[in-house]
Amino acid sequence: PFPSLFPFSSPPYKSFRRRRIRFHAILLPLSIDTTDMPTTASASFTSGADGGPTSLVARLSSGDPDVKLRALREVKNQIIGSKTKKLGYIKLGAVPRVASILSAAIADGDCFQPAPAASPRGMLGYSSNVVVQSAAALGSFACGFDEGVQAVLAAGALPLLVRLLDHPDDKVVDVGARSLKMIYQSEFAPKYEILERKSLEFLVSLLNREGENVTELGASIIAHSCRTVEEQKTMLEAGVLKRLVSFLDGSVGQRDASLGSLAAAFRNNAEVITEFMGPHGGKPFNAIFRLTVDSNPKTRLLACQCLIVIRNATDCYVQELGFKRKLVTTLLELLDDPGQVGDECPFVLSSLVEGKEDLHKIALEADAMVKLRNCMDKENVNPRRLRGVLLALADLCSKLESCRSTFLSMKVLKPLTGFLNHKEEDIRIAACTCLKNVTRSVKNLCAGYFMKNEALVNALILLLTDASEEVQVAALGVVSNIVVDFTTHKSMFVAHEGMQQLFCLSKSMVPAVRSNALRALRNMTFLADDKCKEAIYLGMTPSLIANLIRDDELSVKEQALALVRNLVDGSVGSIEQVFADDSIILDAVGSQLQCCPNAEVLLQGIYVLGNIACGNEIHKEAVTCLLFPLAGRGPEPFFVNFLLSSDSRLRLATIWVLINLTLPSPGALKRQERLQNEGVLSIVRSMVNDPCLDVKIRVRTLLTQTEHFGDF
Amino acid sequence: MEALNVPMADTPVVTFWEGEIVDIKNYTFFTGKWEAMPDDDIKHWTKFPSFAPFQSQVQADGGKSLDLSNYPFIFMRWKEQYFVNVGTDCGLTIAGFYYVCFSCADVTINGFYYDPNSSPFQKLELKSANEGKTGFSFSSYELQ
Repeated sequence: PFPSLFPFSSPPYKSFRRRRIRFHAILLPLSIDTTDMPTTASASFTSGADGGPTSLVARLSSGDPDVKLRALREVKNQIIGSKTKKLGYIKLGAVPRVASILSAAIADGDCFQPAPAASPRGMLGYSSNVVVQSAAALGSFACGFDEGVQAVLAAGALPLLVRLLDHPDDKVVDVGARSLKMIYQSEFAPKYEILERKSLEFLVSLLNREGENVTELGASIIAHSCRTVEEQKTMLEAGVLKRLVSFLDGSVGQRDASLGSLAAAFRNNAEVITEFMGPHGGKPFNAIFRLTVDSNPKTRLLACQCLIVIRNATDCYVQELGFKRKLVTTLLELLDDPGQVGDECPFVLSSLVEGKEDLHKIALEADAMVKLRNCMDKENVNPRRLRGVLLALADLCSKLESCRSTFLSMKVLKPLTGFLNHKEEDIRIAACTCLKNVTRSVKNLCAGYFMKNEALVNALILLLTDASEEVQVAALGVVSNIVVDFTTHKSMFVAHEGMQQLFCLSKSMVPAVRSNALRALRNMTFLADDKCKEAIYLGMTPSLIANLIRDDELSVKEQALALVRNLVDGSVGSIEQVFADDSIILDAVGSQLQCCPNAEVLLQGIYVLGNIACGNEIHKEAVTCLLFPLAGRGPEPFFVNFLLSSDSRLRLATIWVLINLTLPSPGALKRQERLQNEGVLSIVRSMVNDPCLDVKIRVRTLLTQTEHFGDF
Repeated sequence: MEALNVPMADTPVVTFWEGEIVDIKNYTFFTGKWEAMPDDDIKHWTKFPSFAPFQSQVQADGGKSLDLSNYPFIFMRWKEQYFVNVGTDCGLTIAGFYYVCFSCADVTINGFYYDPNSSPFQKLELKSANEGKTGFSFSSYELQ
C-alpha cells in the first residue's frame, strides 16, 4: 500500500517573499470522450496538414495502440520548454487524456512485469513504454509551469505517478520520480503529511534508495512540505537531515534539492539547527558554505539561501564579517545571471538584508545599489526580476540615510515614477514600497526634493484611484511621507487634487485605506498653517471626523485623533472647529478616552486635550469639564489612570494637559483650586520622583506653577 | 533653523541641520571632525555651566564611563547641511557647527558657533515661543 499524498491540507507555501496567489481554475473534462472537443483552442494550434494539435490530442484517444504511443511521444516532444504550447495543449484537454492512458496502462498489469527475456536489454515492453511516455509527458506539463501542475493534479495523475516508484524497471521508476519532482517543485503541489507514520517511512525510503531522481523527489517533498516546528523536529529525529547533508556531495540535482530541503527544515528553528550542527557548525555548515563557490549558479544561490535561513534563525554561525561579505558579493554576482537564478536572486538578497543595518552597510560598500540600479535600467527586464530588484532596493533604503542618499544620487526618481504606471500591479506596489522607504529621508523631505517633482506627485495621486486597494495603500504610504510639512511645497499636491483624493479615501470601506489616508492627512497638517487646516475641515466635515474617531478599527481611530491633534495645534481659530456641530468632535474624543483600551489611541486623544487647553478660557473650561464632569466627584477615572499609567508617554501627556490648564490666565487660579480639591495635585505630588526623566521634570514644572496649594 | 533679519536676504533664511546627541555611546564630547580639535571641544563645552560636573572626567578619559541618560541637560552638536530657501550668497555661512546645550527644565537652548574662519563663540540662544497660545502644544507626524 502507498501512503496517501492527499488531501490538500493547507494553502501552498512559497519560500520567497509571500505574494497573493492567483489560482487559475482549469475546468477539464475528466472522461475520455473523442467527441468532446473544446471550441476554445487558439488558431495557432489548429493549423497544419495533419490537423495540428487538435488532431494530435484526438489521437491520444485512438484505439490503435501505436497511434496512441506516437501521439504521446509527439505531445511530449512538442511541449518541452514551451509554456505556450503547454497551455495550448492543456486547453485542448490533453492532460486528462494522457492521465487516462497512464491509468489504463497501470491497470493493465503487464507494465509491472519485467520485460520478456527475449527483448533487447534495456527495452521496455509495450505497456511500460506507454507508461514511460505518458508519465514523462505529465512531468513535462508540470515542469516549471503552475498551470501545468494544476492540470496534472486535477486529472488525478498524482497517485498514478506514485505507483510507478515501485516498478521493477528503473527507467519507469526514474520517470515517475522525475515527474513527481516537477510537481513538488511547485507551490500548488498538495501538502505531504510528514508527521503521518507511513508517510514518513515512505519519505525516508525515497531518500535511501538508489536513483538520483528518487532521492531528489524525497528532498523536493521536504522542501515543499516541511513547514511546522514539529515537522522540522521530525526530520531531525528521523535522521533525514544527515542524509540530506550527504547529498551535498552528490549530483547537481541532489545538491540543489538537498539545499532547498535543508532550508525548509531549518527555517526559523534555531533549536533544530543548533542540535543538528553543534556549537561550531562542523561538517554540515562547511558543506553548505563550500557550495557558495560551486560552478553552478543555481547551486550557489540555493547555498546562499540556506545560509541566510540559518543566519536569520540563529546568529551562532554566520556572525563574522567575512561570511556576510561573501554572501553579499555572491548574490550581487548572481544578479547578472540572465535566467531564473537572476530573477530569484534579488529576493534572496532581500531575505539577507531585511531589517539589518550592518548588512545594509556591507551591501552599500559592495556597490549593491549600483548593481540593482543597473538591473532596473535593462530593457525588457522581466516583471519577476524587476519586482525583486525594487523590493531589494526598498529593503536597503529602509534604515540608513547613507543608503537613501546614495540611491537618490543615482537619479532614480524618473524610472521609479515610470514604474508607478506599470501595467503589473505587483510592480506598482513594489515601486511604491521602494519610494516609501526612500522618502523617509528627512533631509530630502526638508529640501522639498519629492514634492517639487510634478511627475512623481501626479503619478502618486493617480495611484490613489487605482483599481487595486493594495496599490492604493502602497501609494498612501509614499504620499503620507512626502506631505510632511517641513517646508511649504504642498501646493502642487493640492493643485493636483491630491487632498480631495485623500478625503475620498478616508471614507473607503477598506480599513487599511482609511487609516493610511488619515495618516497622510495627519502628516499634511503637521505644523501646517490655518489655510491648510480650513481646507481639511471643509473637505472632511466635523461629522465625518467624529465618525472616524469612533471607527471600529484601532488604527483608524488613532490616525483620526492624531489628525485632530494637529488641527488644533495652532491658532485659537483652529481650535474652535472641534466645537462645531455641538462639539461633535470633542465628544468623540472624550468617548475614546473613556473606553478605548489602546495606548496609542489614548495618547493621541490626550494630546488633543492638551492642545485645546492652549486656547482661550472657553477652550480650557471645556477641557476641564471633560476631565471633571461632576463637581466634587473627583476626576474621570480615565484621567487618574493616565496619571498612574505604566506608560510614561501617557503620564507625560497628561501632565502637559494640567500644565496648560494651570498656566497663568484669568481662570487659572480657579482651575488650580479645583485640581487641589479634587485630589489631582496630591497624585501629581506623588510623581515628583517619577522614574521617567521627562515626566519628573514636567511634574516639577506643574508643581511650581501650583505651589500655592501645598508643599512638594 | 530660520534666521530672521538677515541683512543681505529679503526673506528669513531657512537651513536644514543634522544633530548629534552626546550620549557617550554614539557620540562623545570630542567632535573628531569639522576642524575641531579636542582643545576646541573643551573650550566650548566649558562655556555651559551644566558641563562643569563632567569637565575633569572628560579631560581625563573622554568621559567614557559617564551616564548622561538622567541628566536634565542634553548636549549636542548641530551641523547645518544646506540652505533651504536661499542661495549661498545670502550673507550667512554654514561652514561650521554649533555646540549646543538644551535645558530640559526651562526648555531653553544655548549654543556656540565654531568655525575656524569665523569670529569665535558666536552665541545661539533659543527659548520656547508659544506664539500667542497660553500653553504648550504638540503636533506629530509619522513616517511610513
